[in-house]
Amino acid sequence: MKYKAQDIIASGEWTYGPAWPVVGLDIGSRGSKGVLLVNDEVFTAFIPTGLYMQETADELLRRLLEETGLQRSDTAFIVGTGYGRISLKYDDIPYQVVTEISCHAMGAHAVLPGTRTIIDIGGQDSKAIKIDPRTGKVVEFVMNDKCAAGTGRFLEKAAVLLGIELDELGPIALESKDPAPVSSQCVVFAESEMISLRARGERNNDLEARANIAAGVHLSAARRVNNLLGRIGIEPGLAFTGGVSNNPGMWQVLETLLKSKFQVPGIDLIYAGALGAAVYAGRHAAASPKIAAKYHARPFVREKTAAAGPIAANASEVEFDNSLAC
Amino acid sequence: MPPTPARWNSTTASPADRPPDPPAPPRKIQTPKSKLQTTKSTTSTATTSAATASANSAADSATDSATNSAAAAPDILRPEQFSAFIQAEQKALIDALGVRKAAYLCNYTPLELLNAAGVRHARLFKGGSSAQTAAGELFTQSIFCDFTKSCIGGFEQGDPFYKAFDKVYNFHTCATMKRATEVIELFTPTRLLNLPKLRDSGDSRNFFHSEILQFRDDLVELAGRPVTDDAVRAEIIVYNKLRLLLRKFSELRKRANPPLTGRAFLDIARAYYYVEPRKLLPICERLCKHYETLPASPPSPGQRQIRLMVAGSIMADGDRRILDIVENELGARVVIEDHCAGARPFYHTIPETGDPCLALANGYLDQSPCARQRPLSDAIDFSARLAQDYNVDGVLYIFLKFCACYGVSQKDFIARFHQLGLPVLALSNDYSESDRGQLLTRIEAFLDVIREKQTNLATHEHTHTLDA
Repeated sequence: MKYKAQDIIASGEWTYGPAWPVVGLDIGSRGSKGVLLVNDEVFTAFIPTGLYMQETADELLRRLLEETGLQRSDTAFIVGTGYGRISLKYDDIPYQVVTEISCHAMGAHAVLPGTRTIIDIGGQDSKAIKIDPRTGKVVEFVMNDKCAAGTGRFLEKAAVLLGIELDELGPIALESKDPAPVSSQCVVFAESEMISLRARGERNNDLEARANIAAGVHLSAARRVNNLLGRIGIEPGLAFTGGVSNNPGMWQVLETLLKSKFQVPGIDLIYAGALGAAVYAGRHAAASPKIAAKYHARPFVREKTAAAGPIAANASEVEFDNSLAC
Repeated sequence: MPPTPARWNSTTASPADRPPDPPAPPRKIQTPKSKLQTTKSTTSTATTSAATASANSAADSATDSATNSAAAAPDILRPEQFSAFIQAEQKALIDALGVRKAAYLCNYTPLELLNAAGVRHARLFKGGSSAQTAAGELFTQSIFCDFTKSCIGGFEQGDPFYKAFDKVYNFHTCATMKRATEVIELFTPTRLLNLPKLRDSGDSRNFFHSEILQFRDDLVELAGRPVTDDAVRAEIIVYNKLRLLLRKFSELRKRANPPLTGRAFLDIARAYYYVEPRKLLPICERLCKHYETLPASPPSPGQRQIRLMVAGSIMADGDRRILDIVENELGARVVIEDHCAGARPFYHTIPETGDPCLALANGYLDQSPCARQRPLSDAIDFSARLAQDYNVDGVLYIFLKFCACYGVSQKDFIARFHQLGLPVLALSNDYSESDRGQLLTRIEAFLDVIREKQTNLATHEHTHTLDA
């Protein structure tokens, strides 16, 4: 997917983009995201995380370069983040790792400069991050303990149990008028609670029961996230990032619980981590005289320019369900 | 000045407690290697203990072999050699014949009495292994902390060290540790003693004194020999010296460029629980002197490591996962710990005069408190004080998952650290092996937060200077 930088920056001003191509790769536990910045353009790519992180990262980079019309050797800098950041190696391109907490903060800051508080829900982690709106740096953060309650994994389990696709779960939950009580924080026990709730449902109002269970699951997960946020407090300028931010059911139940509205971004904030990583890559590149010398000696050339337009659809991404990845 | 507030020292006027941190003498830079090569080995004369001959000879040979392996430092047992030394001591304890052996679980156990009774003794606090934890879970519910499970698990697994003891003593500190004692009874005779929780009440003192007397009488029965007041007094003096010395090791880490890592300090501190004090004293004295003669060199510019405090639940012997991530992988330093297997137990001194059992009761009750004791503010004050004295940049508050005490009181601890302007990362810990990546992410991001804060402060100060 290709964006014009000024379209995704709430302030309308892009102060991060380097002239040289830089890449942020966010290798999550479920999905991997890549962002390439060049001039004032932003390219994104998403693929599910494979068994081998390096292969996943290479495939992301390949797609980004292909769409941009650049060579691998044109890449000035890569910053890796996410669960798989440690296992990546690049011999030919300068590479650094930054934690996904810092990257999500920077990514959200770049897109929504007024952001002070971030909720990030991914495939296996949920976090609440307080950031400095002047710099996009993390001031404080809290994360779930290692249990997957309140994360994308929890929602994924619920969708399987209800026999629906994950991206249907949120919209179906929104239909409910009476969320079912799902009290358990544990995925395993919540599953048995849902089985008994489903068993109680009558044949003729099957759809209603399903919506109520879906809504109950969202509420249970949201309460957990709300507790997390309670530990650092909410400051106005709220952003929702990570794969689960694509889920309208979660979006709504969190806004209700928190009694606050999320800011609406101009780009899918599943890419917040990768975008933040790319911003860091840009800074590293800008600080390096060696990289400047390289481009001075041989400016990069784009072989083709991707179709113009602020948000171009890209068919190759549709096959992946990215509503859960972290 | 030792950072012990009056409260924790109120009962003592011991000279042993007074010597301040000796500043490193100004002298020419000398590598430890060149200094040590000139000194002869005196290891074998170090042992003057009353322990049995067989145990001594086994332990001595272990010391010798450990020393020989470090040809560069013949008379000094270096921190990285402590593990092998302790392992040999543990084996010697298992093999020792003709001596009664007693184990204890909790730091509120007066070691002075165990030693005065002439029993071989050691603390059972191995942890960090998921197999040991799982073995303990045969007896507990899942919501016991992994340390409690490990205490039981060592017995269930038939660990020869755990099986070596004639009796296990424990103090009733929290409900789960009390239950653990009851389960251990299935394997080894145990004695549960009571620890009053309200440390500022006079009744608590009287009651604890009577518990200490019962502990002594039980030991007399176990050892089959009397425990005289003079013997107890002598042990108090020895243990005071040892605690002071271990505190000095810890305080070496107050230097801007600490000569000891957090891991090395814990390696040394472990010996307190496994090695006979009269054997350990000279070993620690030599090592301490060695460190004190090293010049306190400032870190080279840009090389300053982030200084962290670890506070919270016990970091069991073997639970080094978080420490490895912090120090080895991310290059920060743990300069002080406020938990009962770190520096905390060395911040108290027992009165050396008067009725020795009363002195033990008061001294142990007055020690830097476990957060299970009330008022909680004492524990928080102590923790805050350590954080300031050691000039830390941030605090890792690590509590064992399901710990009702350190888990719930984290809010109060964290609030105090925040008041001091210290960033805190709370981590719930257990002995599983699957969450390494998650821990790494959290700690790495926490170090980023600290660095960012320091950068902001530096920029601010710079601006301030320019304005002025």
